[in-house]
Amino acid sequence: MVSSLPAGAVNFLPFGWGQLMDEFLQSLPIYIALATAMLNLVRRQWTLNLISLAVLFISIIPPLLRILPTPLALILPFTGLMVTLILYLTLLNVGGIERIHFFRRPTSGEVFRALVGAFQITILRVFLLTIQQAIFPQVSLNHLFLSLGLVLVGLLQLGTIQEPFYLAIGILTFLSGSQLLISALEFSYLLEALFVAVNLLLAIVGAFFIVKNEESKQHE
Amino acid sequence: MNNTVLIWFALPLLLGLALVTIQRFRRLSAFLATIIPLLLAGSAMVFSGGLTLQIIGRVFTLSDNFQIFGRTLQITADQLRILALLYFLCFLWNLTSGMFDVGRWFNSLSLVITALWGAVQFISPFLYSAVVIELIALISTPLLSPRGTPAKNGVIRFLSMQTLALPLILLSGWMVSGIETSPSAEALVLRGSLLVIAGFSLWAGIFPIHSWLPMLTEEAHPWIITFLQTIMQIGLALFFLTFLNQFAWLRNLEGLTQVLKWIGSLCIVSAGVMLVFQRRLSRVLGYIYLAGTGYIVLSMASIQQGPLELLSLMLLPMIFSYWSLGFTFSALRQALDSEILDYDELAGLVWRYPRISILLVSSLLNSFGLPLFSLFPSRRIILGIVATESLAIRLFISVGILGMVLMFLRLLSVLLQPPPDVEQDKVESPFLALPVALILLLMLVGGLFPQVFSAPLNDLLVSFQNLLR
Repeated sequence: MVSSLPAGAVNFLPFGWGQLMDEFLQSLPIYIALATAMLNLVRRQWTLNLISLAVLFISIIPPLLRILPTPLALILPFTGLMVTLILYLTLLNVGGIERIHFFRRPTSGEVFRALVGAFQITILRVFLLTIQQAIFPQVSLNHLFLSLGLVLVGLLQLGTIQEPFYLAIGILTFLSGSQLLISALEFSYLLEALFVAVNLLLAIVGAFFIVKNEESKQHE
Repeated sequence: MNNTVLIWFALPLLLGLALVTIQRFRRLSAFLATIIPLLLAGSAMVFSGGLTLQIIGRVFTLSDNFQIFGRTLQITADQLRILALLYFLCFLWNLTSGMFDVGRWFNSLSLVITALWGAVQFISPFLYSAVVIELIALISTPLLSPRGTPAKNGVIRFLSMQTLALPLILLSGWMVSGIETSPSAEALVLRGSLLVIAGFSLWAGIFPIHSWLPMLTEEAHPWIITFLQTIMQIGLALFFLTFLNQFAWLRNLEGLTQVLKWIGSLCIVSAGVMLVFQRRLSRVLGYIYLAGTGYIVLSMASIQQGPLELLSLMLLPMIFSYWSLGFTFSALRQALDSEILDYDELAGLVWRYPRISILLVSSLLNSFGLPLFSLFPSRRIILGIVATESLAIRLFISVGILGMVLMFLRLLSVLLQPPPDVEQDKVESPFLALPVALILLLMLVGGLFPQVFSAPLNDLLVSFQNLLR
C-alpha cells in the first residue's frame, strides 16, 4: 500500500520506465533491509549497528503492508524499534555510544564476513525461483528473498560472533526473517503476541548481557 | 478462578513473577517456591480423575478451557497428571535450593519456567509451543549466566540453538496442513518429518550438535543446570509425544523408528566415548544428559513395544537420578569451592569428604543405570528391545556403556588416591548424613521395587490417546 503510491505516479513515464521504476521502488525496501543486515554482520561499531537495526525494522514495513492489514503489519517493526531503543538506552548507560568511524580500514574478519554474506545472498538469489516453486509457491519472490536473506544473514551472524550484543542482533535478524516468512504463510494473533514477547524478552536479555559484561570488565 | 488454565498456568506464572519482588528475602522466597508447586502438583493429582470434586457437601467444578487471542487454551483432567509431574519436579529442586548458593533468581524463575513448560504441553495449535520454548530459553539466561561473570560461549550457543529450532518447528506445522489435505504426498511427509526431527535435535542437543551441553554444565551452577535440563528433557519428550499423537503421518512414517534408534544409539556412544576423556566433573554432567537423551529417544523408538509404558517407567527414576546428581555436584562444588571440579581437585576425596564421595559414586552408578539402582529396570527393558537390533546399534550402545564404566573406574581411582598434604579448611557437615542415607535408600528401593516409582505415573500419558494401543 505504501509503496504503491509512488509506484502509481511513475506509471506515466515513457518507454516503459514507469514499470521499471515501479519494480525498483517495490524492491528498494528489500535491498535496504538486506544491506542493513549485512552492515550489522560486517561492521562492529555499536552506534552504527543500532542505526542499521532501526533502518532494518523501518524498511520491512512496506513488504509487510503488502501481505497484512496496516495495524498488524506494524507490530513487528514497532516491536523491533522498541528493542532497538532498549539496546540503545542500555549502551548509553554503560558508555557504549561512540562516534561512528565510517572510513575505518576494514579488518580481515570484516572482509571475510562481507564476502561470505554476499556469497550467501547471491546463492539465494540464484536459487530463489526454484525454492519458491518447490516449497513456497504462495509467497512472492521479493518477500521470499527478504525473509530468507535475513534468515541467512542472521544465521551467519550467530555462527561468527561471541559478543552478547551481536548475539542479540543476530537472533533479532534471524527471527525477523522467520517472522516475515511465517506471516506470509499464515497469520495468528496468538503467534504474533508470542513473537512480541520473545522480541521484548530478547531485548532485556541483550541489555542484561551488555550490563554484566561491562560490570565484569570493570572488576578486572 | 474455577478454570484449569488459570489455576495451573496463569496463577503460578503470576506468583513466580510476584516472587521476583521478594527475592531479597531468600528464605521466604525459597519457602513459597517450595510450597506453591507442591500444592499445585497435589491439587492437579486430585483433579486428574475428574474436574468435579466434592468436599464436605460442597461441590467444586472446574472448566477446562480458556479463550485468548481468538484461540482456546485447554487443560483437560488427563493432562493434569503431566502438570502434576512438572510441578513436583519444581518442588523437588526448590526444596533443597536453600542449601546451595544458587542466586536470587532461582526460586521465582523456576516457578515461571515450570508454568511455561506446562503451557508447552497444552497450547493449541500445539506448534506454537515452539515460541514458548524460545521464551523459556530466554528466561533461563539470568540463571545460566548470573551477574558478576561475563557471558560465556555455552550460554551463547544454547540461545543460538534454541532459536534456530523455532522456525523449523513452525514451518513444519505449515507443511503439515498440506500433508493433511494430500496424505499420499511423500515429498511433503519427508520434508515435514525432517523439519520436526531437525527442530527437536537442536532443542535437545542431539549428537553432533550437543557441544553447548557440556559447555553449559561447566559454566552454570549444577543445581540450576540440572533443574533446567531435567525439565527441558521431560518437557521435550512429552512435546514429541504430542507430535506423534497428533500427526498420523509422522507416527506411521516408515523408517522413523529406525532413525530414532540410530539417533539414540549415537547419543549414547558419543556420550560414553567423550566421558572417558573428561578431566572435569562439571563436563561429565553434560555428557550424562546426552546419554539420558539417547535413552529417551530409544524408548520413543520402541513404538511397537509400548513406548508409553516404558516412558512412564523411566520418568520418575530419571528425575530422581538427575536430582541426586545435582545435589551431589552442588555439595561438592560448595565443599571444594570449585566451579569446574577438576579431577586433580578430587584426588583423595574419599578420605576428605566420605559422605559426598559415597553420594557421588552412587549417583553416577545410578545415572548409568547399573543393577540394583533405580534407573536399572527401565534401562534393562530398553537394552532388551535393542538387543534384537542390527549389530551396529548394539555395538554403539555397548561401546557407550563401556565408556561410562571406564569413566567411573578412572574417577574412582582418583577418589581413592592418598589425600594430598594440604590443610583442609572445610569440614564435611555431619547433617549431610541424613540426605545421603535417604538418597541411597531411595535409589536402592527404586532398583529393587520398580513399582514404587512407576505406580504414581501409571496413568500419566493417557492424554496421548492415539499412542495407546
